[in-house]
Amino acid sequence: MKYIRWLSFVMVFVLLSGCAGKAAPSALTPINLPMGYVANVQFSPFYVGKERGYFEKAGFDVTFDYRWETDGIQLVAAGEIPFAIASGDQVIQARSRGLPVVAVAAWYQKFPVAIIALGNTPLRSPADLRGLRIGIPETFGASYIGLRALLKAGGLSEADIKLQTIGYTQLAALTAGTVDAAVVYANNEPVVLAREGTPFNALYVSDYADLVSAVIVSNDTMVREHPKEVQAFVTAFLTGLQDVLDDPDAAFAVCAKYVEGLEENAAAQRGVLDTSIEFWRAAHLGRFEAAAWEEAQKVMAESGLLEQTVPIETLFTNKFVK
Amino acid sequence: MTSSGMRTSNGTYRQTPFRNLPFYLLSVGLVFLAWQTAVLWMADTPRRFLLPTPQEVLARFWKLIGNGVLLHNAGVTLLEMGLGLLAGTTLAIVLGYGVVHSRMIAYVLEPVIVTSQAVPIVALAPLLTVWFGSGLASKVVVCALVVFFPILVNVVTGLKSIDPRLRDLFRMLEAPRHKVILKLEVPATLPAFLAGLKVGGTLAGMGAVVGEFVASTQGLGYLVKQGQNLYDLPMMFVAIFTLMGIALTVYGLLSFIERRALRWSVQDTTATYSEEEQP
Repeated sequence: MKYIRWLSFVMVFVLLSGCAGKAAPSALTPINLPMGYVANVQFSPFYVGKERGYFEKAGFDVTFDYRWETDGIQLVAAGEIPFAIASGDQVIQARSRGLPVVAVAAWYQKFPVAIIALGNTPLRSPADLRGLRIGIPETFGASYIGLRALLKAGGLSEADIKLQTIGYTQLAALTAGTVDAAVVYANNEPVVLAREGTPFNALYVSDYADLVSAVIVSNDTMVREHPKEVQAFVTAFLTGLQDVLDDPDAAFAVCAKYVEGLEENAAAQRGVLDTSIEFWRAAHLGRFEAAAWEEAQKVMAESGLLEQTVPIETLFTNKFVK
Repeated sequence: MTSSGMRTSNGTYRQTPFRNLPFYLLSVGLVFLAWQTAVLWMADTPRRFLLPTPQEVLARFWKLIGNGVLLHNAGVTLLEMGLGLLAGTTLAIVLGYGVVHSRMIAYVLEPVIVTSQAVPIVALAPLLTVWFGSGLASKVVVCALVVFFPILVNVVTGLKSIDPRLRDLFRMLEAPRHKVILKLEVPATLPAFLAGLKVGGTLAGMGAVVGEFVASTQGLGYLVKQGQNLYDLPMMFVAIFTLMGIALTVYGLLSFIERRALRWSVQDTTATYSEEEQP
């Protein structure tokens, strides 16, 4: 009897241990989310979404992956990962090459590229760019498309300026005087200059052209066969975005966990966040306007970046946005 | 070894050019076979967007040859490599000579040179673009920095390995400095120097591409970057294969120069095998 009692005890213990071991299977789908840039306060909607459990509630265990946006697009096209963050022009570029990617939610509502010049170089209108030595990080991507849009708005062509590819050294190049003006991200370098008290002039692309900007990217298979997952992810992102718009102070505090050295550069980074927020505001968060895609594709085609244009309706969908 | 060498009249074996050609062709063939297999394996899956087919790459190659884009960009990279190799080699020879012959120079420079190699060139390249501009100069400087160290190390090793008795002999004969350099130091250092030059020459391509990745509008590194950002994978592959071809050509050319320049030593050392040494 004593043995039977002991045996029962051991069996119950073993069963309970087994249950405890199996109790952990997570229903969450782990995903790496390519961000396209280094950890930055600009990603606060995603940080807030993760920190407040919106992605978890949507069924995703999100890990932020700060790889290049082109890599992210390729992995999404290949079905290796379901989502990525990228600029709309990359979706157009990829789609024109046959990659089955599609934008499922808008993030930036205004194109965040500008051209800045220091001191006395006047930049009152795009026509003032004529004859200037303009530095640009690359001759593709959002910076280049923004430049081409501004040139078009000023009735200019690339032959009217002296374009120099300078990598991401815009402020150094401007300070050293190797260029007269530089193409920058409107929510970054101008904020730094303003904070330093350095006088500058700026032309913002969004004042002259309505181009599609940063978006959430997925692929045709996800949209067609797993719409619930896409809907859940988009909803989680938009909830995080709305939270940031409603309470930037709290969002900034959340960023400290994800952005190394944020506290040491708090004032400047807060400026970046506040400026970024102005590019995110919209009457309908996440919603695309077809005209912005059309304009972006037109600028890209005129710039020689596309071998072929694609039907606008294949580039994006508003079905996951209320 | 005996089957691939040429037997000479005095019973020794000398290496013959292209003796390993079948093996090279076999390895290239195996790579292409693996590539084609991977393409076929991924053909009906979305993963096909991650790897172009050999046919696509070949078609892109002919197109880039036809419109002159490949030759122009390869020429730019070769120019950067050549100037960088020249600058880096010159600097390595001068500083190497100084380090060996002056204790003060050695004490001052060695820590700087060694620690400078701990800084990844990709971290320095953006700064060099600011300091030297986004044109040819910054790429040449990156190349020079990349090739400098291996050549310097070999120059120093070569100079330090000279038999002290030979130095004593030249001293006893009261040979002037230029005679010591020309008749003793240059011949004695040449094998090590050329070995370093082969490494440096191959690395020069990497230096050029690093510089082009930071900021450029031409060059093979630019083509790779442009291909990546335009999702033109075949163009990326063409540029990468061209870089590999250039590296192999540079290595082969420097090996040829090495064999010609060291003919006097080859008879007695590595590339000659005595009858007794044959397996």
